Amino acid sequence: MHRTRAALTSRRSHAPRRAAVALLTGLTAAALMLSACTGSPAPSGSSASGAADANATLTVGLVLEPSSLDIRHTSGAALEQVLVDNIYEGLVSRTQDNKIIDRLAKSHDVSADGLTYTFVLNDGITFHNGAKLTSADVVASLQTAKDDKTVQGHADLADVASIEAKDDKTVVITLTQPSQNFLFSLTGAAGLVFQKGDTTDLQAAENGTGPFTLTQWKKGDSLSFARNDTYWGTKAGVKSVVFDYIPDFTAGVNAAQSGTLDVLTAVDANLAPQLDKNGAFTLTKGRTTDKGTLAFNNAKAPLNDQRVREALRLAIDHKALIEARGVGTTLYGPIPQLDPGYKDLSSTAPYDPEKAESLLKEAGQENLALTLTIPSFYGTTVPQLLTSDFKKVGVTLTVNSVEFPAWLDSVYTKHDYDLSFVLHVEPRDFGNFANPDYYFGYNNPEVQKLYAQSQTELDAKKSADLLSQAAQIVAKDAAADWLYEDQTLTAVRPGVNGFPKDSINSRLDLRGVTVTK
Amino acid sequence: MSTLRRLRSSAAGLFGLIVVAAILVTAGVSLFWTPFDPRATDVASRWLAPSWPHLLGTDLTGRDILSLIMAGSRTTVLVAIGAGLIATLIGLALGALGALTARWVRETVAVLVDVLIAFPVLIIAMLISTVHGGSLWVVVWAVGIGFGVNVARVTRPELRRVQHSDFVIAGKASGLSPLQNLVQHLLPNIAPVFIVQLSWAMATAVLAEAGLSYLGFGASVVDPSWGILLADLQRYIQIHPLTVVWPGLAITITVLAFNLLGDALRDATDPTLRTGRRPANRARAGEPRLPEVTA
Amino acid sequence: MLRYALTRGALLIAGLLVASALIFLALRVFPGDVAQLLAGNKATPEQVDAIRKALGLDQPLVLQYLGWIGGVLHGDLGTSQLNGASVAAELAQKAQVTVPLATLSLLVALIIAVPLGIGSALLRGRAAGTALNTAAQAVAAVPVVWAGMMLVVVFAVWLGWLPAQGFPRGGWADPGAALQALILPALTIGTIEGALLLRFVRSATLQAAGQDFVRTAAAKGLTRNRALLQHGLPAVGLSIITVLGIQVAGIIVGSVVVEQLFTLPGIGRMLVVDVGTRDLVKVQGELLVLTGMVLIIGFAVDLLHRALDPRQREADE
Repeated sequence: MHRTRAALTSRRSHAPRRAAVALLTGLTAAALMLSACTGSPAPSGSSASGAADANATLTVGLVLEPSSLDIRHTSGAALEQVLVDNIYEGLVSRTQDNKIIDRLAKSHDVSADGLTYTFVLNDGITFHNGAKLTSADVVASLQTAKDDKTVQGHADLADVASIEAKDDKTVVITLTQPSQNFLFSLTGAAGLVFQKGDTTDLQAAENGTGPFTLTQWKKGDSLSFARNDTYWGTKAGVKSVVFDYIPDFTAGVNAAQSGTLDVLTAVDANLAPQLDKNGAFTLTKGRTTDKGTLAFNNAKAPLNDQRVREALRLAIDHKALIEARGVGTTLYGPIPQLDPGYKDLSSTAPYDPEKAESLLKEAGQENLALTLTIPSFYGTTVPQLLTSDFKKVGVTLTVNSVEFPAWLDSVYTKHDYDLSFVLHVEPRDFGNFANPDYYFGYNNPEVQKLYAQSQTELDAKKSADLLSQAAQIVAKDAAADWLYEDQTLTAVRPGVNGFPKDSINSRLDLRGVTVTK
Repeated sequence: MSTLRRLRSSAAGLFGLIVVAAILVTAGVSLFWTPFDPRATDVASRWLAPSWPHLLGTDLTGRDILSLIMAGSRTTVLVAIGAGLIATLIGLALGALGALTARWVRETVAVLVDVLIAFPVLIIAMLISTVHGGSLWVVVWAVGIGFGVNVARVTRPELRRVQHSDFVIAGKASGLSPLQNLVQHLLPNIAPVFIVQLSWAMATAVLAEAGLSYLGFGASVVDPSWGILLADLQRYIQIHPLTVVWPGLAITITVLAFNLLGDALRDATDPTLRTGRRPANRARAGEPRLPEVTA
Repeated sequence: MLRYALTRGALLIAGLLVASALIFLALRVFPGDVAQLLAGNKATPEQVDAIRKALGLDQPLVLQYLGWIGGVLHGDLGTSQLNGASVAAELAQKAQVTVPLATLSLLVALIIAVPLGIGSALLRGRAAGTALNTAAQAVAAVPVVWAGMMLVVVFAVWLGWLPAQGFPRGGWADPGAALQALILPALTIGTIEGALLLRFVRSATLQAAGQDFVRTAAAKGLTRNRALLQHGLPAVGLSIITVLGIQVAGIIVGSVVVEQLFTLPGIGRMLVVDVGTRDLVKVQGELLVLTGMVLIIGFAVDLLHRALDPRQREADE
């Protein structure tokens, strides 16, 4: 345990150096591209010696496999994680720490009144089938998402009034009202660009614009990409990528140890010591917007009583939970560090079982019996600790471990639950607490007002401020509890450079990764 | 009763009896006392090796393993008894239908039983749990149905054999209804075969609980069941390899006990003692009892 | 014999139909909804309904069943509702792992059970024989999942001789690595099935020992053991064949757990995943194939048994 912490601390001091290295590698690669020379490998400047191998295959171990590759119609972090930025691209994208950057667009401009967004496209963009990308494709993609309810991202384009191609390389989007999140939402499924009139069957094939093409999908096993050598931008650093889907954490560690993986993501902190041995792997700890959310059914008695909810929050020893998990930081409010509006709200729920008991007594709910609905994927640490903590204050918890589909049905759709635990991974999803129809069942007009204001506010800082205020109300109201803000542990073999560190669950942009011989 | 005496003289049978009794006692005791509260976590004491006061060590969140195993014995007993009961009812019902009724009913039941036997307990469990989600009831019902069918296959020939014996015919002649005849004369005669099957059914139930809980179709994740414990500790087997020994041993010893008890009961209640069964019926007499246990 | 084959064949077909109906019915009533799963958490009811219509989930049950069966008879087990993959193709691909695993397990079981079973019967009454029998009893009581874990601890964690998990991505392209990956799994299943089979072989041997022709041979001057080995073994072989069908069922079931434990990309693991994601069509197809295999093997075993032993009477029930 302590060894892990020490090991991780020393690793973290390399982080700034790693960033500089990544930048250097990127610039060098760009310079090489301009000189139209594809032969000589770019020098990698990281701890490994040797030149970058342009023919390398990168094998990455992932956990959750997408059920379908149709990113237009299927939602899910598993899809976006591998497909966005690698196969498909949007007008804009986001970095590991959720800053917005240009992608297909060479530049973007927002009018002073926040209603007009102008994007100028890069030159020479082609789809994988060879067709050139023009503004017509962009317009068609966005228009389809806006008009068709079944397309992913439809809801994000609700404020869009019109989408127009001013010329071959310029797209203008006008909104009906200013929206702080609009540009950010274009970094997701809503902003992806598909070829106009394309008939490719997206369930198993693709026709994107990204630095990789899809070569094979072995369902239940692996997904393979190959470098797109006709990519319009900086070519990828590796020749091919294989994503190995290993849902079992122990199996993942074994695969890494046996040498079949170059990178293992989502390493279980309790198993990490195995990979740390002999310097075989470098472990990085990354930030995420993954919020371990313990939802309370605010619409159902006795959870509609704020005192009961607050008591439950006070009964949980958050620090012990994180210690048992091995990774993560405490989170006491709905907004994580990487999102605008984050503030430390630990004062709203200090660990105080005695106060919890007295609150429950006050609310007339001693000897309360509640059920926790939790997808079995999350393991047993959380249920075990919650059961134990709640028992100490007189609450008997029954744990109902279900598969995701059943969770979706009973909790998410039918709102038939008491407590539920799920990792909410989407960035900037505070809006869920401002939506009375969301499965939280939380309905606070003040929060809704503040949220709406924050969205139409033109100044980013003021908007963040408003979000912060709203978040504080939500935390004080104990609308939910946040067991942790997850950190992601990644084990990287020496010689692999430029592998992303943060936000890996939602984005895995591999264009800048190189492998030295 | 000579059966009991024969049972007691078999060392294996005696072992089985004692162990089963021990588990029942443990289950009972655990209702009132365990060294620690099996659900109480203690993060500061995680992964302790067997030592004082945690005689078998602690798990990932600091729960006491000995207490978990003691409390788990309750789950084991419940599952075994539940499955046994259901297997009994189904076996009797199907057996009676398949032996004592009109020909077309018998033929249909024969086909049904043969088909159901092809459904391994695991498959039945997966079918049920797709519908209702995983739970201990899934284990109980899956084993009950799976084994009940096997019991039926055994009781059918027995019922038909006994059906034609004198006292049954006499019973019919003296005006007893078929049901009364069944209860008064037939059941007591097939009881020995039954009890043996029951013992094996319970062994299967314990194994099934282990396998199904491991796959996620069984007990709830915080229940102190042996199968869940196994599944839980397996994840960290490469760092803490020996913690899985305790629940595994508990399961093995229990299953062995039920099996030995069943074997001893069979030997004790069967007139042709020496090598075993009547040859003609062997292939169909339910020995082999379902070796296709679910884990 | 022909009449028996035909009757038994008719029963097989009836059985397959009943099994398919049971599977279909059992999967229709469930709280999860494939349409909802595909649509995702951000879906509107319209999106969910659209998917439901596209997959024909809104048709009456009878039509859905007949459509499925019709396809099966043409060799089409349907396509996955989640990603359009052909169920038959997926099964064929995963079978590359499961069939070798099952075969190896059966081999291990036979290698353990036959010599040791006969041995323990011949040594009956002696310490070695009793020890063997007791050991078999003990091993048969071990849960497959725990046996696998213990083998992993010994051979992979402590000794490091064999991989703890996984199957080479290239599949059988590297036969050495593939076989290596299957050794511990096959040992796990094979040892326990072998222990169960051992007790059968023992019983069968003891029973053969009591048969007339063996006693006659013994009376003629052969030792009891020699008589048994020379004349009684065919009967033992016959008994093993009887049990084989059930052994295969046990191996199939064992492989589901073992594939999960050792993360082998086989049919069993695919089944567990598909049950979890409610991929209706795939689960239906997979379960039908598995139970069908058990029924067909049972049929083949019955025929074989009948062919080899015409004295076997199909006693009334």
